[in-house]
Amino acid sequence: MILEKDNAARCARMAKVRLSAEEEALYEEQMKELFAWVEQLSAVDTSTVEETTAARAAYLRPDEPVTNEPLAQTLVSQFNAQQDHCVKVKKVL
Amino acid sequence: MKTVFEIASAVQNGTLTAREAVLESLCKIKELNPQINAFVEVWPEEALKRAEEIDARREKGEKLGPLAGVPVGIKDNILYKGHKATCCSKMLENYVAPYNATVVEKLLSADAVIVGRTNMDEFAMGSSNQTSVYGPAHNPVDFDRVPGGSSGGSAAAVAAGMVPAALGTDTGGSVRQPASFCGVVGVKPGYGRISRYGVVAFSSGADQIGVLTGDVKSAALMLEVLCGRDTNDSTSLEDEVPAFSQHFTADIKGLKVGMPKGFLDNLGEEVKEKILAAADKLKSLGAQLIEVEVPHAKYSAPCYYIITSAEASSNLARFDGIRYGYSAPNAKDLNDQYELNRAPFGIEVKKRLIIGSTALRAENYKACYLQAVKVRELIKQDFAKAFEKVDVILTPTSPTAAFTLGAHKDNPMAVYLADLYTCQGNIGGLAGISVPCGNDKQGLPVGLQFYGPILQEEKILNAAYHFEKAS
Repeated sequence: MILEKDNAARCARMAKVRLSAEEEALYEEQMKELFAWVEQLSAVDTSTVEETTAARAAYLRPDEPVTNEPLAQTLVSQFNAQQDHCVKVKKVL
Repeated sequence: MKTVFEIASAVQNGTLTAREAVLESLCKIKELNPQINAFVEVWPEEALKRAEEIDARREKGEKLGPLAGVPVGIKDNILYKGHKATCCSKMLENYVAPYNATVVEKLLSADAVIVGRTNMDEFAMGSSNQTSVYGPAHNPVDFDRVPGGSSGGSAAAVAAGMVPAALGTDTGGSVRQPASFCGVVGVKPGYGRISRYGVVAFSSGADQIGVLTGDVKSAALMLEVLCGRDTNDSTSLEDEVPAFSQHFTADIKGLKVGMPKGFLDNLGEEVKEKILAAADKLKSLGAQLIEVEVPHAKYSAPCYYIITSAEASSNLARFDGIRYGYSAPNAKDLNDQYELNRAPFGIEVKKRLIIGSTALRAENYKACYLQAVKVRELIKQDFAKAFEKVDVILTPTSPTAAFTLGAHKDNPMAVYLADLYTCQGNIGGLAGISVPCGNDKQGLPVGLQFYGPILQEEKILNAAYHFEKAS
């Protein structure tokens, strides 16, 4: 069981999502149900599938250098707190 | 309202002005949007100004683009420079697009007129348009019912005749399912056909832009304009785009239509009847019905929820209050800052972020995420094998017609399971189209879906076109 030793509150903390008590109770039930449903995948024989093939979602073209229009000032202007053409953030350390 | 084709042709030959077409659209939006809530913002002055510019160019003798004067709505997760793009989330309530998405550039180059942004489930996570911060959109057929989702606003806008076409995005059926619920045409081309540059990412391995229109021919024309290689999207395919709207054959005699074994097993009687009647109609048009096996397709929905939630937990990490999104002013420490910055996310988004990060954790990764991507590979192989025998595959779009607002509120699993027929297309990277196939006893539209292999969109468009013509 994927959620055997986990619970919604622990998973939420790992995901950096803060839950209210009400959300926690709701998610606990819904996530248990969802992961129990997902368990059916473990019964599928995937021994013929290479990990690398499976992980490649789609065709990707080779990397090419692309020059985008200069957007720095436009993006920075959307923030309330700015200083010297930079986004100003709170000191957290 | 006239179709995309009719408007564009009339504007090009001068029997209709772009201003008249746009004005009709704006009047309809003004009249119906208060009840339907399909548009979350409309740009009337700008749309009329652009329409007048198009008319002026025609008067000067300039040749107009293929979507001349066609009013179009765009889903609220597609960037249109200088306009808000909020993903219908409080997280991006003040975000203004700094550049145009490639699809917006293509619409503008084709002389379409973008009239506003349409309602959607928050960050495209949902199948009913009920998780939007702007409130739900309503189904124009029955205002007490959902229009489907996540591109519910786009489907409702087309069904109500507010616009002849709208753009949506389709990660697990978000164009095709609302098309089915609202009784319009919704098409998602194969993965990589339309550039996603300038679309807010949800699940990069599955996200695709799609179109909603009133008829198949218009959808073909829209695809013709929007498909094609774009250096700004590394998954964009290099292959040539056919003139889809010119690819319709005289008939579908001999068309091989695959019917997946067991695909009607869990359907309600009314939808089942409609699908079987549709199959009979195709047969009467000369198509051959052939049973095909796609044994792993039944695992599409659990695969979809694990893979897309995992990708979402990575993609939405950018809404950290620094790169994008809300920045909480009173955090005590770094952890507090992260958690408070994510507070504006709604209940469904938070849930999927938690599911995604749980699926990716070291102890769960192999059993959960890696197993899901391996099963996805088996599903792709099943479809590839099936398409060796048939040209298109027929399924219902959704197991039910539109449900009432608030239904399944406490049972999200019922909604997840209902994505079974559509998410196969995203998991398999296939092209898919939903086309109306009649109404149930309550008068609610039911949709029929055709799948086709990647890079063969003309096959599903052709099958849907002939089915529509005969309906």
